[in-house]
Order: sequence, then C-alpha cells, then structure tokens
Amino acid sequence: MLLPDTTQTIVAPASAPGSGAIAVVRLSGPGAFRTAAAFLKPSSVVKNPKNRFSYLLSAEENGRLLDKTIVVFYRGPESYTGEDMVEISCHGSPYIVSRLLSLSIAGGAREAGPGEFTLRAFMNGKLDLAQAEAVNDLIISEGETAHRAAITQVEGGISKRIKELRGALITMLGELEVRLDDSYNELGELDIKAFTKRTAAIAGKIKALADSFKNGRYLKHGIRVTIAGAPNSGKSSLLNRITGSGRAIVSPKAGTTRDTIEAKLTLSGFTVIFTDTAGINPRTSDAIEREGMRRSLKALKTADIILWVQDASKKSSPADRRVGAAIERGSAPGTDLVKVFNKGDLPGARTPSETADGTAISCRTGEGIAALKRLLIREEKKIFSTESSSVITSARHYSALLNSHRELEKIGLLGTGRSFPLELAAEHLRGTLTALAGILGETASEEILASIFKNFCVGK
Amino acid sequence: MTFFDHPQDFDVIVIGGGHAGCEAALAASGMGMRTLLMTQDLDTIAQMSCNPSIGGLGKGQIVREIDALGGHMARVADLSVLSAHTLNISRGAAVRAPRAQCDKKLYQFAMKHTLELAKNLALIQDEAARVWTEGSELRGVATIRNTRYKSKTVILTTGTFLNGVIHIGLSSFRGGRYNHPPSDGMSPSLEALGLKLGRFKTGTPMRLNGRTIDFSKCEEQPPDAPPPLFSHFTKTPKRALMPCWITRTGERSAAIIKANLDKSPLYSGRIKSTGPRYCPSIEDKIVKFPHHTSHILFLEPEGFDTEEYYVNGLSTSLPEEVQLELVRSVKGLERAELMRAAYAIEYDYCLPVQLDYNLETKVLPGLFMAGQINGTTGYEEAAAQGLMAGINAALKIRKLAPFILGREEAYIGVMIDDLISKGVEEPYRIFTSRAEYRLLLRQDNADLRLMPHGFTLGLIPKRFKKNFELYKACVGALTKTKGGAVERIGKRKSGGTHSSVSKPSSDNNMAPWTRTKAESTVKIEKEYSGYITRNLREAEKMKHFEHISIPDSLELAAIKGICIESRQQFLKVRPRTLAQAARIPGVTPTDIQLLWIHLTRLAKG
Repeated sequence: MLLPDTTQTIVAPASAPGSGAIAVVRLSGPGAFRTAAAFLKPSSVVKNPKNRFSYLLSAEENGRLLDKTIVVFYRGPESYTGEDMVEISCHGSPYIVSRLLSLSIAGGAREAGPGEFTLRAFMNGKLDLAQAEAVNDLIISEGETAHRAAITQVEGGISKRIKELRGALITMLGELEVRLDDSYNELGELDIKAFTKRTAAIAGKIKALADSFKNGRYLKHGIRVTIAGAPNSGKSSLLNRITGSGRAIVSPKAGTTRDTIEAKLTLSGFTVIFTDTAGINPRTSDAIEREGMRRSLKALKTADIILWVQDASKKSSPADRRVGAAIERGSAPGTDLVKVFNKGDLPGARTPSETADGTAISCRTGEGIAALKRLLIREEKKIFSTESSSVITSARHYSALLNSHRELEKIGLLGTGRSFPLELAAEHLRGTLTALAGILGETASEEILASIFKNFCVGK
Repeated sequence: MTFFDHPQDFDVIVIGGGHAGCEAALAASGMGMRTLLMTQDLDTIAQMSCNPSIGGLGKGQIVREIDALGGHMARVADLSVLSAHTLNISRGAAVRAPRAQCDKKLYQFAMKHTLELAKNLALIQDEAARVWTEGSELRGVATIRNTRYKSKTVILTTGTFLNGVIHIGLSSFRGGRYNHPPSDGMSPSLEALGLKLGRFKTGTPMRLNGRTIDFSKCEEQPPDAPPPLFSHFTKTPKRALMPCWITRTGERSAAIIKANLDKSPLYSGRIKSTGPRYCPSIEDKIVKFPHHTSHILFLEPEGFDTEEYYVNGLSTSLPEEVQLELVRSVKGLERAELMRAAYAIEYDYCLPVQLDYNLETKVLPGLFMAGQINGTTGYEEAAAQGLMAGINAALKIRKLAPFILGREEAYIGVMIDDLISKGVEEPYRIFTSRAEYRLLLRQDNADLRLMPHGFTLGLIPKRFKKNFELYKACVGALTKTKGGAVERIGKRKSGGTHSSVSKPSSDNNMAPWTRTKAESTVKIEKEYSGYITRNLREAEKMKHFEHISIPDSLELAAIKGICIESRQQFLKVRPRTLAQAARIPGVTPTDIQLLWIHLTRLAKG
C-alpha cells in the first residue's frame, strides 16, 4: 500500500548504530504491547504493564536469552507518537538490535518508513505546526537516503530476483483471472496440482530470500572494520586518526586498550564501524588482558574487513606472526585483509618487499590515511555488490517478504481438487503482491491484464 | 448568424441516445429535472451497434448495480431477452454473472417507449453542433439547424460519433456508425474549451443470413432454463428462448488471413489509434497466437423476427471479399451469405482525467460526459456512466452533494475512479480483476449494496421500500442464525425445529424479493466470511484516506520536497482525495506522505 498504514505497529531502532553502550528499539502502534510480548519475558508482565514504568525483561529468541533489556511501556495517548509504545533499551550491539527488529517483525510489526514515528506523532496532534516543518524535512531527508539505498540495491541482484518472483506471481494471477473471465471454458481447466506446486516453489524462494536477512550482516548497521595488530603497533591511534576523533585512549604503553572500542564513520555513503581491539598477545597471563583478547578474537570473527596494523619502524616480530596466525584462525572465510604499515614517519626497518603488499601510513603525521580511506571504499563496494546480490539487507524488505510468504502459503491450504476456489487463490496472490509492494511498489491491475493478453488468446 | 432560440429552458440536455444517453435522460428526468434528449436519429435510440448482448463478467454485475440504483438497462434487457446464461456457474458464487442475448429491435423499442413515457423528458431529433457557452459559462447547446437550446447542464454521450471514420479493408469513409454521419463540429468545440482529445478504434464482426448457415454442423448452446434475470423487479419471460451456436475457425481460415494481411488497415498502418486488447480482431488472434490452429466462434441470433446472425469472434477489418472467403472457410458457414460486412471504426474520445468524480468536466462547470466519449467501451459501462452523470447533473442543479460510489461499494465506483485517476490507454472495459474488493461486489448483493441509494435519490419507487426493508431484515436474521442458514435449511427439511430467531417473512409479503434469495446471499457470505471480513477491513483502512479531501485551491508548489514526476501527475489528474492521489500511477510513497502532512497542516491551520 502506498499510504502508510496507521493501523499497523511499526518498529525501528531509535539510536544510531554502533555508537554507544546501549541502543534503543522503539515499537509504536495498536499492537505494540502484543508484539513485545512475543519475545519479551515474562510475557505476563508485558501483556498488562503499568503505564510509564520500566521493567527489566529478557529478550528471548527460540527460548534462548538474547539480552537483558530495560523496557518502558507507554499507553497511548500518553506517548511520543500518541499511540501505545514500547521502548526497549538493550546493549549497544548491532547484532542484538537487528535481532530485536526481526523478532518484532516476526511478532507482527513492520519496519517504520522514513520519519514515520514523527509522522504519527504529528497526525495524533502531538506536535505543533512549527514542529511539523521539521517532520517534513525529516521525511525528505530520510526518504532521500532510502531512495539512494534503493537505487544502489537495484544495481544488485537481489532486486532482480524479487522482480522475477513478482513477475511469476503476476503471470500466475493472470492464469487465474483469465479463467475467472473465461465465460465458456474455452481455455480448459487449470491444472491445480501443477499450479499449487508452482506457488509452493515461489513460496520457497521467497522464504529463502527472507531467511537470508539473518545472514545479511552489514548494510543496515554498517560495514565492520576491525583493527588488529600486535601491542603498541598504533591501532588506537589509527582509529582516532581515521575517524577524526579521540575515541580511544592512546599512550606509548603497550596494552593501553583493554577492551574493544567502536567508532563510526560514513565513507562514500556507507556506514563503517571501526573496532579497535586490544593487542593480540596469546601469552599473557593477565586476566583482564585475556578477556580483552577474547573480545578481540570475537571482533575478528565478525569483521568484514580487517586492518592488520604493523609497526614498520621495527622488524617483523614473533608478535606480528602470532597476530597473523590469530587472524587466519579467527576471521571468517572471505574476510578482506588489509595490511597497514604504521609509523612511516620513523626510519623504516623493513625491506620494500616486506611492505609491498600493504599500505604505508603514519598516524602521527596523517600521511597515507587518505589513500587508506580510498582503499577501504573500494573494499566496501566490493562487499556491497557481492552481499546485496545474495541477501536481504533491509528489515523493511524482510517484513515484506515474510508477509508475502505467509499469504502465498495459504494457497496450499485451499485444496487441490475440482472445487479449488480460483477466486480465493486470486485473493491470496493479490495479498502476496500487495505485501511485495513494500519493495517494488504497487501492482496495478493493468499489469495483470497485460499478462493475460500476452499469454492468452482471449476476447471475442 | 441567426438562431432559433427554443422557447423552453431545460435543466439537463443529454446529447446522444445510446445506452449512456438513455440512462442519463431517465435519471435526470426521474429526479424531476426538465430534461431534453437530443439524437441524430430517434430510430436508433439504444441501438446495440455491435453484439446485441448485455452482461457478462463484471458487466453483468454493473447491470445489476444500475438496476439497484433505479436505472433501466436491466429491465429492458429482461424484456427483450432471447437467450441467457449464468457465467462461471462451475466456479465460486462470488464470481458468477448473468449474460443475455437480446432481441436488438425489441430492446430499442422498449427503451424508446420508456423514454417517451418518462415525465419531464422531451425527445428531439437533431444534431448538436457545439456546446453553447458565453464567456466562461455554459448556456446550452447549438444544433446544426441553428437552433439553440438553453440549459443549466449538458451531458455529452456521443459514443463513436466524434470524427468517426469507418474502415473496411483499405477503403475508409466517414461515419459514426455504418450508414450514419459522424459528428464533425463537436470535437473542435470541446478543444476550444481546452479539453484534450484522444483517438481510439473499435470494430464489429459481420452479420450472416441464418437461412444460409448449416446449424447441423455447429454445436448447440441452449439457453439456461429459467434464464437469469438482470433486474430485481422483473419476472421470467413467458416466451420460448433461442439457442446460440458454436463453431470454430480452421487452418484454412488462418491461411486466408495470413495471405491477406497487407489488405488489413490494422496491419498496413492505416489505423494508428489504439483498439481494445480484450476484443482482438481475428487478424490479431492469428498473428499473435500462431500456435492456436483454431478459434472458437459463437453464432448469435439478433432477434426473434430476423434471420440475421452475429458472428461473435470474427471481428475484422479485412476487405469484404476476404471476409466472405474467411467466413466460408468455417465449418457450418460454407454457404453462408454476408448481410453486413465487418468493419473497424476510429473516433475521438475526451481524456477522462479531465473529469471530476461526478463526471463533470473540470474546465466547464455544468458540462458532463458519459460513455465512450470517456474512453470506455461496452453498453453496460456506458449506461452506468450515463446514470451517474444524470444523477449528478440533477444533484448539481439542486445544489446537493455529488453522488459518488466507492471502490468498495460498486463496480461503477471502481470504473469511475479508474477513469478519472488513471486515465485510459485503450478503450476501457470493466474486469472483475480491476476491483480490489471483488468478493464484496457480487451480483447477488447489488440490491443490498446500492438500493438504499436508489431510494434516497428517488429513482426506485417508494412502494418497494417496505418490502426491501423486510428483505434486509430477513438477510440479517438469517446471518445471525448460529451455524449458518445452510445448515438450518437442512435441519428444517429433516423435520428439525427452528432456532430462536423469529421466522423471517415468507416469500409472499416481500415481493419481488424472496426468502430463497436471502438464503442464497447468506450462504455465499458465510462461505466467504473470512475473506469478506478481510476485504471489509482493507476497505475500512482506505476509507480514512478517502475522507481526506484535497481542496481546489491547493498550491502544489507550496509543498516542499515533492518530486517532479509526482507533481506533474497531481497537476494532470488534480486528485480530490488523498486516497485517489495514492492510486495515481507513478506517485511515490514519500510524496503521498508529504501531501498528507501538508493537508493536515492546512486543516489545522
């Protein structure tokens, strides 16, 4: 549907991705409490919470604890949007946020459109006219971002695949409609078994696409770049230099960074989350350092790109080799590895052949940082084009696919015999296409007619 | 130039006596308007220039809707029926529809007589030359005989007559229908008002002499007994009905067409305008579907007292000699004689996005349009628009709110919304697939959906009101019955007792409605109950947006951020409601939201 459906419950993260210790996921709409009850436990609390009270609740997925969350329930109209609202504060991990989003969608919500929370607040009289101007701007700017993302995705294979599915659905709807309009059974009966088999096949493909959302790691929450290296190679300095911030504490002392630190940067339109890790030192006996190590290894595992920082003013050390081995063991297959030779402002200690396969920089002077950024942009584009052709990256697309799958499956329940109700199968196919409209726009009745006239010789 | 100014002032003048014109004139006069119907030729009133057939899928529902609103097409069709079927009888009840073959002359005379008997309605044989305006105001109509008729409103129902050109083979000549002159003055008169015109094409097959058809080689298609009726108020005709006949084209037919394609005005490029895809010529069928070795043909009688047969499925614009060869290549038609040749016709229509929901042109208040001039085809589509235009002209004169049907309420609503919001790329025909709430728009519930409007408008006689209410109550009572009417009927037959619901009225005291009809409607609604609820819920959601209206004075330029394509579409269609705006092709969700916010601000500020 082209018009935002105000009867639906919407969900979206209310905090910027990867930027803090906690993140907030917000639900709004008539079914907000019910949706929350689908995964927040104990559900007895969620079903009838006190207004504007905060609760410590467990977010569960398949019976397993996902995160401990602080949840505030607002009963409309006493809320920002004027509707029933739930705000879930969770730990600031993009993974947890994306899981909460898909749990909400599975629980009946859909992802909010650009500025939709504010739009609802405005429609429900929660904002005055002066504020409305801001709503306008918000929708325009968020809409542009979404538009740009959509354009980029069109270049990828995913949209082509959805288009093909949509085309197949329209053709099938045409096959039903032409028979509903075949006054004197000129065309012969539809082969119901084959037809339901085809719907099941398309349903399977839609399901597979929807499922790929769980694997789509990056786009919505950014590409993850993990900075790894031996202690005191300048990882934190690189983080500060490349993001232009003082996010990480730096000191000449090895092991200053004990925990992973994240900082976000927008590079050529893509969000990139840099994770600075504690130096990899497998031989340490320090408990805190060991925990830092554990986290570093985890950051290697989830990285899309690893920047391996080495101190070029020193000779290649056993520590460097240990890091290399840890990266090899710890990173996911296919992760891009970029070698960065830091401290290029100091007299070099390595032979040109040793540094030929990497980028020389100096965090102190800033030399080589721009070249490194350019290299990252190339890498992220590469990731983007591979990933966007195989997985769903938008929660909105995910919920659209999920809904269309639900609709399509119902055709299988209509039976296969002579009494197969074509008109009801058509209702479900239409429902499937309406759900997909969230991705590719409305299906006009003209498209269905066009498919009929293309495929069938009808009319007198 | 000197004019004869007709002494009588009219409220409504209807130009054209086709299916749109007749309904428009009857609706306006029925609502108390002093009405004039003007036609070139009174002998061709309500002529079915193509197939003398009414109804079909989607169309049949429209005829039922026309009847429920107090129109006349259904009654006249029932009166002149010579063969009829309920279509889709093997499919779900929601997609069944009646279709009838009518006696062409009987239909015309019955309609003409209805017009003659209508109070407040005058008929005149004359040809409108132009819309008469003074300054920017509508005054009435000027005719080719230099007579001027003064009127508050004018309804144009010109059919295929505007600049009509007929093609048979490579010869073409001017005409609005075979042997009838086209209307030359009207198109320039409309263009002078600032209206944009387009050009469409349609066609009609040949007619054969039944005496020369070998029916023994054809398959008989007997009429349903009793035939389905269109009107809620008519009784089954006593007259014996006639069969139709089925035969098929063969490989020789295809060869003849292929050998003569260069003589087809369609394939030689002489006809450039767009024809309807759903009504293809036989040339089209052979060329586009070469793997079909044979195409079905229906031989349909044109009347009780004539031997003329309509060859349904053999629409063509090939030359006459090829037509004869083609006909004789068909089984059963080897010796058939051509009485009238098939032909194609091109005509002007007026882009329907220039109309408002009440079918009034936006450029000239008081000027209404209905039927083929709005880019549609089909008698039923035309009649429905005529009815709506007639009603709305009357309401305008009475300074009452326009009568607009929603997409969830009637096929008529779907059609008019499609026409004015989306425009037309080819002659528009109704299809059930155009309705998003198909399960609500059934032929069995046209009365329940629309007759309350018919009563309010005064087009359904008051004397039916009491029985209609009884019928509604009966449907209501049966719906509430636990377990459904179907089961209960079964129980009753097996000697079971009635439920606590008071016994609904017997058939006798709610005529023309019957308890059987109520039971059948309730049974359908129970069968589809989950789906109907869903349709209703979707419609309800949309209704919210249907009620957000867009004022005439809206300055699109004042809305920040709307993309150029959407802005152009908005300017072209000038949507009346937010819901309508959202249905315009090519408009983005963001733009609709921006429009929504803007409208809300206007309403608040």
